[in-house]
Amino acid sequence: MTYSIIARCPRTGQFGIGIASYSIAIGLYCDGAVRANTGVTLTQGFPFPRNNTLALNLLAQGRTAGQTMIELIGNDPDNEYRQIAIVDRENNEVAHTGASVRRWAGHRIGKGYVAFGDMLAGEHVVGALAAGFEAKPDAGLDEQLLAALEAGRDAGGLAGGKGRLPERSAAMIVWGNRTYSEVDLRVDLHERAIDELRRIYVDYKPSIAYYEERARNPRNAIPAMEFADMLKKQQQKETT
Amino acid sequence: MTYSIVARCPRTGRFGVGSTTFSMACGRRNESVRPNVGISKSQAFYLRYVDPLALNMLAQGYTPQHIMRTLAADDPDFDYRQFGIIDRANNVVAHTGPGCGKWAGHTVGPYYAAYGNGLAGPQTVAGIISGFLKQPDAPLEDRLLMALEGGRDAGGQMSKGIPRPERSAWIRVVDRLDYPEIDVRVDLHDKTVAELRRVLTEFKRYRDYYCARCDHPRDAVPEEDFAAGLNAKAA
Repeated sequence: MTYSIIARCPRTGQFGIGIASYSIAIGLYCDGAVRANTGVTLTQGFPFPRNNTLALNLLAQGRTAGQTMIELIGNDPDNEYRQIAIVDRENNEVAHTGASVRRWAGHRIGKGYVAFGDMLAGEHVVGALAAGFEAKPDAGLDEQLLAALEAGRDAGGLAGGKGRLPERSAAMIVWGNRTYSEVDLRVDLHERAIDELRRIYVDYKPSIAYYEERARNPRNAIPAMEFADMLKKQQQKETT
Repeated sequence: MTYSIVARCPRTGRFGVGSTTFSMACGRRNESVRPNVGISKSQAFYLRYVDPLALNMLAQGYTPQHIMRTLAADDPDFDYRQFGIIDRANNVVAHTGPGCGKWAGHTVGPYYAAYGNGLAGPQTVAGIISGFLKQPDAPLEDRLLMALEGGRDAGGQMSKGIPRPERSAWIRVVDRLDYPEIDVRVDLHDKTVAELRRVLTEFKRYRDYYCARCDHPRDAVPEEDFAAGLNAKAA
């Protein structure tokens, strides 16, 4: 009941995750799943939160994504219930969909990314995730991840025994080369979580540079309220 | 403008942060809380790299007091920073530089620091603390939420004489594992603290189920069935 895309941007070396789920606060499972200059990983289906730390520690030691996957599977007696993806800094991508992950479940590996999910309307949903991600390769990793989620949803998204399941939570995360994220947005409980994620992203994106500049030059900073008002006026001008 | 509480549960040793602000997505700062190490949560004109640095220093064995001096010595704009740090030995420090604007300040107590900037006044910090202390035996995440509600109800944020809304909020609690026990967020909402209560309340109804599903997937009930059972129970 979750679909995701994890990716490395070939231009910038950024790593990122886009995820949407019927489960609430799904972004919690992305904790520790990305490390700068190291890689990105995610375990879903029946998640196994300790996998994030182990996978990134192995990648940091220099193990490849493929070797790391072997270690994760060997470390977990319930691996047939897990769906795992890893992308490393050498652009190796691997995925595992265990036999007991709830159907339809599967993954698609592309250049620098893995699209995967469980309890999907069908295989076409991971195809849509991949197509959405690839549609605008120069748009920036954050935009690509969000476009992938929207395409997955529009292709049918999640399905249980009684039909479509709503996406109740979603998240998008992008790391550059720092010790902290560049973008980390979440919707933890919402009837239309991906729409809500888009709404927040659109409002949030223009403020990233402002907050960075404010920290580095506090003496000359425009107050946050004034900046927010400026932004609102600008957006109103653009829409009229 | 932001107000926060960083705290340690005296019973369980769990670390937690509660924070709310006008800015969006304040909960993206998950680098600020590290299991078995401590919390360093900076705000006002904050530099993102400071919290990971402070936590690395805590992990190396430095005290919060020494870390504060180190940060001050390496930052020409230290007057514009505000932060709180707690370590495993329950040492707590807080700093509010004079450049953080009016009203800004902090209070350090046993196991906690409450602090904020762009506030209605010291009553907001007092409200955070009285919320936190209201039910000392409650789980840490509930105490953090009551602290944010206490700060909001005491007047919350204000700039140029105008009350300013909280638009994002966050509670994160870590225990001994590498990943958080609780991490709930509201990234953009008109009544963000109330929404955070809704999300935390709902999350706690699922939490044991989610943990069991990870640990014992073979025995897991399908989530849609679990959710239907919850709703039936509520009705």
